[in-house]
Amino acid sequence: MLTAQEPAPTSVTARSRALELAGAFANDGYKIRDGFWAGTLEAGKPQFLQVNLFFGNEYWFSAAALDPSGKLSVTLFDEDGNLLKEEIFQDGASAAAGLVPGTSGKYFVRLAILGGDKSEFCLVYSYK
Amino acid sequence: MSVRCVFLAAGLAVFPAGFSPASEAMTKDQIKSAVVSDAITIPTPGEFFAAMDEQGQPNWTQMFLPKASVNTASREQMALMLGVLVADGYLAVEAQDGQGVKNTGKEIINLAKKLNVSQSVLGRGNSLSDFAENNDWSALREELEATQNEVKLSMVEQKDKDLVILVTVGAWVRGTQVAAEFISKNYSPSLAGVLRQPAIVEYLLSGLANLPEKLQESPLIVGLRQKLGAVLALVQTKDRAPLAPEAVSELAATMRELVSAISEGTTNE
Repeated sequence: MLTAQEPAPTSVTARSRALELAGAFANDGYKIRDGFWAGTLEAGKPQFLQVNLFFGNEYWFSAAALDPSGKLSVTLFDEDGNLLKEEIFQDGASAAAGLVPGTSGKYFVRLAILGGDKSEFCLVYSYK
Repeated sequence: MSVRCVFLAAGLAVFPAGFSPASEAMTKDQIKSAVVSDAITIPTPGEFFAAMDEQGQPNWTQMFLPKASVNTASREQMALMLGVLVADGYLAVEAQDGQGVKNTGKEIINLAKKLNVSQSVLGRGNSLSDFAENNDWSALREELEATQNEVKLSMVEQKDKDLVILVTVGAWVRGTQVAAEFISKNYSPSLAGVLRQPAIVEYLLSGLANLPEKLQESPLIVGLRQKLGAVLALVQTKDRAPLAPEAVSELAATMRELVSAISEGTTNE
């Protein structure tokens, strides 16, 4: 769906938690983007984000949800929607996925939560 | 250091590659419903340049050429030029040219003022200058993106949201010009692969097609749409193959024309 979307309002807390997780990579030269994806996530209803990545760069997608009882997951797909075998970090309401893209182009990020209530989330990404 | 090592170094557990909570491919409906957001779906020129740096080690100093101030009353031209200048700011950061960053930052703020953006954006100019003074290149990359995002947010708040896509177009066109010109002179298939971004061009074309009728009639926008349509054909390669050398040269020439058109406010349709 090629439509522009304004960034949704998010709680400062969800964003700061996502940034805190992304900060784990900063010492290794990963630069964190100022842009973010935020909204509300419901169990059993994953959401997808389109991103455009460059061959030659390495990426980490870091997300946090506010509801501590939910288990958040970040998963990556190629432009045809095929699941990618990426590096995964998961710790309750925080999760991240790392990828070294084999080609430049379109990719998808899937954000899902298992259990818990509806929860605000925020996703940021970093690259080097 | 691999992505796994980063987490281990940070004391965080990493699941082995292959472990994933999702086990199936996306459905067509899921692909169609994926969110596309200007703030995160479209890469910054900094990401573009980082990918080139990784593979080609360009001489950024030679590539950064300061631009003359744009004197125009056309809001669409100012918005496009603002994007071009943001890309130039990233280029100056790559060249580690502190004075270049300061001058570019000043031009960005001057244009932002003419577009009546909020007062909060104007303070960004001082931050850019301070970071440049201290050679804090990492902070400058973040500050450039934050400045661009704040300008766009201010445009939305002032019911000028049609200008947002133009800032994005300007930055993309200038970033691609820099990349394509370098790659055309230093061709390798892996470097040329960096330029294969059809989804971004589709996004930009879609945004331009949704501009109000009055803006659509601007010769600058008409020319942009026409040339970006031709660019889409160039970057939509079969089987995700890198662009051929001829395609890279054509892309560089088209982007050069577009940057020139944005600077001068005219296009050769």
